Amino acid sequence: MLLRPKAHFGRSKRVLDLREAAMDVLSLVLSLLYQFGTSAAFFFLAAVGLVIILGMMNIINLAHGELMMIGAYTATLTYHAGVPFWLSVILSFFVAAAFGAVLELLIVRRFYGRELGALVVTWGVSLVLGQGTLLFFGPFLPSIGIPGGSFSYGVFSFSAYWLILSLISLLLIIGLWWLYNRTSYGLQAKATMQNAEMAKSLGVRTSRIYTLTFSLGAGLAGLSGALLAPTVTIAPFMGQQFVAPAFITVVVGGAANVIAGAVASSMVLAAVKTPIGMAFGAFSGTVALLLAALIIIRIMPNGLSAPLEKYFNRRAGRAMR
Amino acid sequence: MVMEPTVAIETLSLNKTFGGVVAASNVNFKVLSGEFRCMIGPNGAGKSTLFAMLCGIETADSGQIFVFGQDVTHTQAFKRVRLGVGLTFQTNRAFHALSVRENLAIPQASARLENKEVGQARLEFALDAFGLDPNDEIKAAELSHNQLQWLEIAMVLVGYPNLILLDEPAAGMASEETLRTAKVLKHLNSTGLTTVVVEHDMAFVKDAAQTVTVLHQGKIFAEGSVADIIAHEDVRRIYLGRA
Amino acid sequence: MRTFVGLISGGADIGRTRLFWISFGVVVLLFLLYPTQASAFRVSNVSFYLLNIPLGLGMALLWGYCGVLSFGHVAYFGVAGYTYGVIAGNMSGNPFGPLAGVAGGLLASMFVAGVFGYFVFYARVQKWIIPILTLVLTLLLETFLGQTAGYQWRVGSVLLGGYNGMTGIPWFQVGGFVFEGYSFYYLCLLLVLACYFGLRMLVNSNFGQVIVAIREDELRTELLGYDIRARQWVVFVLSAALAGLSGLLYVQWGNYITPSQVGLLQAALPVIWTAVGGTTSLLAVAISAFALNWITFTLSSQGNQYAMVIIGGLLVATMVFFPRGIVVMVAERLGRLMTRRAAPPRQP
Repeated sequence: MLLRPKAHFGRSKRVLDLREAAMDVLSLVLSLLYQFGTSAAFFFLAAVGLVIILGMMNIINLAHGELMMIGAYTATLTYHAGVPFWLSVILSFFVAAAFGAVLELLIVRRFYGRELGALVVTWGVSLVLGQGTLLFFGPFLPSIGIPGGSFSYGVFSFSAYWLILSLISLLLIIGLWWLYNRTSYGLQAKATMQNAEMAKSLGVRTSRIYTLTFSLGAGLAGLSGALLAPTVTIAPFMGQQFVAPAFITVVVGGAANVIAGAVASSMVLAAVKTPIGMAFGAFSGTVALLLAALIIIRIMPNGLSAPLEKYFNRRAGRAMR
Repeated sequence: MVMEPTVAIETLSLNKTFGGVVAASNVNFKVLSGEFRCMIGPNGAGKSTLFAMLCGIETADSGQIFVFGQDVTHTQAFKRVRLGVGLTFQTNRAFHALSVRENLAIPQASARLENKEVGQARLEFALDAFGLDPNDEIKAAELSHNQLQWLEIAMVLVGYPNLILLDEPAAGMASEETLRTAKVLKHLNSTGLTTVVVEHDMAFVKDAAQTVTVLHQGKIFAEGSVADIIAHEDVRRIYLGRA
Repeated sequence: MRTFVGLISGGADIGRTRLFWISFGVVVLLFLLYPTQASAFRVSNVSFYLLNIPLGLGMALLWGYCGVLSFGHVAYFGVAGYTYGVIAGNMSGNPFGPLAGVAGGLLASMFVAGVFGYFVFYARVQKWIIPILTLVLTLLLETFLGQTAGYQWRVGSVLLGGYNGMTGIPWFQVGGFVFEGYSFYYLCLLLVLACYFGLRMLVNSNFGQVIVAIREDELRTELLGYDIRARQWVVFVLSAALAGLSGLLYVQWGNYITPSQVGLLQAALPVIWTAVGGTTSLLAVAISAFALNWITFTLSSQGNQYAMVIIGGLLVATMVFFPRGIVVMVAERLGRLMTRRAAPPRQP
């Protein structure tokens, strides 16, 4: 979607030309902003469930893509059964959350404190889920059309749905901040994350906190999967396409303060991907993401959230004094 | 060859903060070659952080560190070890899953060849005095607490260091073993091995130290002979009174 | 010679008794005699099970001994395979073309691993980041290779071929001697044995002890004077070369390669072989790589759709119920049984 130069002739049209050029520039800027915002929203949505589980439980959930797939399948199946789209999205949150809770109770809880073991076992789960879905539902499901139409400004057109997704990402960020800073669940979860033994001795039911947190992360993955479902092909291995962006977002964000890290890294990655993807195509954009991730962790091994967390701490320290 | 007493460690106005906590504030710390130095101070005084900065685990926010005259402020930890610095951790970090023989074999390839003769004599003395058999195939995890502490000291000696930093080597030991540890360390020191020990046990400090440094809130609070430090009013107040 | 024997029979792998070595010899003998008893088709299948073993051994070395997990070792498998295809294909007719392809393939996989390893190890990233980034790398490679359909993606006279893959890759040959059928089988067997003994010596050497020490406690090892970044990097590149070796043998075996060889499903396989075998034993991983390749190959050639579900389920079950690996556990049971029979039980 590059700006197409227009041919203009004659002096009498000069004023008009200028106005048109200004409009072209404005619409290019708007389009860049739109691309940036939507791709930041995409990174955030792809990563949010993963990030919650990593930050609160130190578990990398490699079945993340398949949880998104479960969300997308739930939304697609219920939508085609006549459930309104937005209701089916909410339904997928609960289906994926329930699934996550079962997964935590049966398997994941045996792997606390064993990072690499957790990675490997969740990968096994993802294989079983992907292949199982293929056997059960076949190679693909009918897709959902993108809700809400599009509008155009200048030479560019904008999809209303993607603007809604950006808005939902913002709401999710605010909601998660509220959940972890203003509710008793958030307080107990943070205490458990800091020092599980201590939290337990203070009467926090840590195993329930873990189940809830994993379930929340899974539910958010399902929600994202459902939200992104209209924009992709619904197939058993659809989760794979979210693996690379989601994990790059998490790696760049780091584990020091996951939500702030995910927000910052979604924006940085969108800023890398948008211009390169526009100029050289989607694949180059993704390669640029991997390179950016490698360079960022070479400079900041603990991700963007480490300096952010340090900054927050220093401000908190100053406020205390 | 008679050597002038050289400086083993010197730090110039070292600073380090973690968030709002000051772990080191303008620390000027100096240990001469061949010294036996003890460091005391209440919990959180910055003793372990100072050790971590000396051997390269933590980087200082500002200031400089010299080891045997070389500026090592920006030197990687493993390169400092090759300059002759050895460290044992506060919580024992011998390789518990490996055998005693393996624990003692692992450091061999990084041993400093220029120090071989005296280093080997120190190692053999320590193994003998601690009752450790370098060919023992028993897993380190099965050793007693005291033996594990001693094993880690021996592992560091395998690298033939000139300077050892020991973070509470006698922690958790009964008084008899504490004095045995002190005795072995004193003998090693008498062969010229510069020794810096963080220790809470005053029996150990009285027995072994030549000079004592007191850290408090990230600062060097007092420094002097054992007798001076014990007599020091403020030290008694901040440290001995609470201990 | 004594150090040679000492290194091979040292304590860093299972199987140190006389009985073990006798049975090991018998198994090798059976493998040597197998082609005299089996059809060319079966020998070719067994070659396939064998050629995957170096990839598994590389994973065992990296994950089991050094404690670094890679989810993307098939990337190096693929890089070596494709590079061989390009070089040997362009030099077709030249009796030393395949040899140049082998050298180029190994160098290419080591180069990619070297560059990648520099970024992750020298940044001292947290443990969980490496498997994630290796996985991303191999997925990108798959995407890239998948879109190379068409005539413009041509290197010399060889087409990369997009999702249909690269076809017509030459057999391995040295001078006038072409390795195919039985001779290729013996080549695989020889290389597998060489890799196994070489690695067994490596893990019993001081280098091997130090990498185990890094797995156990990175900081303690560094403070014994070792540059752990360099050691991890070396092990990573070495294991990538082993993956590359498997990739070379694979394209020489089947004369083709597709991007799905570096895809998510394939990427899971070496991890599964290693987990099921037991991360702390090279031999156990070699056995499980052979056995699992046999099982998947048999299942999928019968058109069984459940192959990957079964393999994935096996991984989950192993991680949950036999975290030290099924082969290692069986071997320990056997060992205990043997010693109990050989000597009366001692008083505890």
